[in-house]
Amino acid sequence: MTFLPDWPNAADPLLLFSILLLAGLAAGELVQRALRLPRITGYVLVGALVGLFSQRVFGRPLMEDARLFADIALGLVLFELGRRFDFAWLKRDRWLMATGLTESAATFAAVYGVLHLLDFHAAWAAVAAAIAMATSPAVVMLVVRDTRSEGQVTERALCFTALNCIAAGITTTMLLSWLHLEYKSGWMSVVLHPLYLLVGAGVAAWVLARLLILAGRWCGKRETAQFVLLVGTVILAVGVAEMLKLSVLLTLLLLGMLSRNLDRHHALLNIEFGYAAQPFFVILFVVTGAGLALADLEAAWLPALAYVAARFLAKTLTLLVLGRLNGFSLDRAWLTALALTPMTGVAVILVRDTTSFYPELGTPLASTVLTAIALLDLVGPIATQLAFRRAGESHPEEPRHG
Amino acid sequence: MADHVIEFTRSEPLTMGVELELQILNNRDHNLVRGASDLLARIEKKKHPGDIKPEITESMIEISTVVHTRHDPLLAELRAIRDVLVDNGDRLNLSLCGGGAHPFQQWSERRIYDTPRFRHVSELYGYLAKQFTVFGQHIHIGCANGDDALYLTHALSRYIPHFIALSAASPFYQGEDTAFDSSRLTAVNAFPLSGRAPFLQKWDDFQAYFAKMRGFGIVESMKDFYWDIRPKPEYGTIEIRVCDTPLTIADAAALAGYAQALCHHLLESRRELASEDIYLVYNYNRFQACRFGLEGELIDPHTRERLALSKDIVGTAGRLGRNGETLGADAALERVIRIAATKENGARWMRNALKSAGSLPDVVRLQSEKWRSG
Repeated sequence: MTFLPDWPNAADPLLLFSILLLAGLAAGELVQRALRLPRITGYVLVGALVGLFSQRVFGRPLMEDARLFADIALGLVLFELGRRFDFAWLKRDRWLMATGLTESAATFAAVYGVLHLLDFHAAWAAVAAAIAMATSPAVVMLVVRDTRSEGQVTERALCFTALNCIAAGITTTMLLSWLHLEYKSGWMSVVLHPLYLLVGAGVAAWVLARLLILAGRWCGKRETAQFVLLVGTVILAVGVAEMLKLSVLLTLLLLGMLSRNLDRHHALLNIEFGYAAQPFFVILFVVTGAGLALADLEAAWLPALAYVAARFLAKTLTLLVLGRLNGFSLDRAWLTALALTPMTGVAVILVRDTTSFYPELGTPLASTVLTAIALLDLVGPIATQLAFRRAGESHPEEPRHG
Repeated sequence: MADHVIEFTRSEPLTMGVELELQILNNRDHNLVRGASDLLARIEKKKHPGDIKPEITESMIEISTVVHTRHDPLLAELRAIRDVLVDNGDRLNLSLCGGGAHPFQQWSERRIYDTPRFRHVSELYGYLAKQFTVFGQHIHIGCANGDDALYLTHALSRYIPHFIALSAASPFYQGEDTAFDSSRLTAVNAFPLSGRAPFLQKWDDFQAYFAKMRGFGIVESMKDFYWDIRPKPEYGTIEIRVCDTPLTIADAAALAGYAQALCHHLLESRRELASEDIYLVYNYNRFQACRFGLEGELIDPHTRERLALSKDIVGTAGRLGRNGETLGADAALERVIRIAATKENGARWMRNALKSAGSLPDVVRLQSEKWRSG
């Protein structure tokens, strides 16, 4: 019977990919309908299951194949978050910038303090603290879309997410100098490496944004053409950033911000990626789930919990105090802080970016941070969805009858 | 039956007040956005001129002035309210604009503002309630008594096309050019109690009519009538409700000044409204004004002449010069004449904006910029 395919090795990447996608979809719908939890939680859970068994069932390359899609998905999310970021609003309400930066700084200080108490090495504690600043743009953006949230809590959560991601990206990059110093890599690395990363991301984003605007003008205001243009540019930017070893996070966020704020003649339409990008997002979270560092849970749960608690308290207290001064009600400030809980994709990249230079030494940091991420992967989306719902800003799609 | 009697509160004749329904937009794609409750929560804490209220959906807000006798203070108050809203909106990253309908919003996306009355309306009218996300200007003119109010209601019907065409600013609806200058008024037509008031000239007769309608259980209060012009007994006014919210405050104030001068003239030169025949041409004229705006025609129900609408407005406003002087409405009349003579109403401005800027979100963005200054 040679015409029959071999089993089980016949599993083709496309087939596996589709299984991930459809299993993710099914789990997302199930947790949403049965438990009223965010669909993202379902995607992550499926990913975690696949992660546990994939070694045995599929072999390793599966997640590597899917990673490509996850990177594109993250690129789209970061770009869209950047495009929602309005410089003019920051100028009109100076409290926003002040609150965003204070919130990031307070998170850094609190987490660093806790890790210091737990006797982590200072340089690594600083990196871990910098990573804690960032809220997951993917989770916040997707919950906003999934629940169709609109309002001040939503807008502020998105604005602070963009700000704390930028702050985290810049801080971790700067801390590379410290790491280079610690490991005596020579002054060239100490000075030039962070400089290259920061300037590189800025220049790449600026050039791509200019090109995008020019191309947008050339395409004219047709949604189909501009949609392809935007997706193409986002993938190009991810590719360029990876090729030049730049931060994908900073490059894509800046590209989004600049493409909106440099576009004085409004050449680009405001296209949301919508349904077309949803499969990418499902894969992003399935991959995230598969990467959950559950193995270290036993060893690292205590520092991880301390890490999560310090991060949460710092964000909440800053928003409560500054929100009060700015005439934002306590209730809303608290919900905004709650919405900032998730910490996933971006942090994984930051951990990867940082530890890739000193892989053997990054382990203690990585296992704490990755365990914290695993906890927040499960809790974060729920917190964000709850925040928008309690604020009365979510408006989930009603099923269509007939 | 005593509790069905609606007394007409006397008010100073020819005083005026304006209500405007405004659109709340995001600054990203300039779609309507859920913002009324956030904006109101911010404004409630501060002293501000006029009155600022929620409307049926979260993307609308209604402003209204106090009672005025002259055009200039009315304009100043409207500007002051506008500035409060624009400033507070800026802090929340929300914009506002005029116009009778949002060019590309999807009505199914709208959210009902959470009050018992709005929930009731929403349940009663279903999709109509959300589809009624349209934005109008209401002009109140004070009347000495109910008979005067009914007289003005019917006498003004001849001029209703003027108000429609001058204010028309809803050419686009649900992403399409409707070919109408005011698509908003056709949305109003879907309501069972829309249209015009019954041809009754004595307040006692009107009370009897109202009692009957209430007896049928069709209405509870005057609020349930969505007529183009209706008496508003509790304020002692008549209310002209056909105008789209204009693109600028100045246009809104000018329309109020024009209505005031027109009522002054109609009360002075009071003539018998011989029969209900004046309404035979009403729907035709109304359609012409909605569809063609200032390019439309009008049939005069008294003389049976067929007139170009823009010329009729220029002529009418021109003849009101003395009334305008008495009331301090000259600037308003001048503005009305300029709009009619150039045929530059809001609908034309919006169509031109689409031609030059290329997309409907750009049109809304330009509308919100125009709203800040004019």
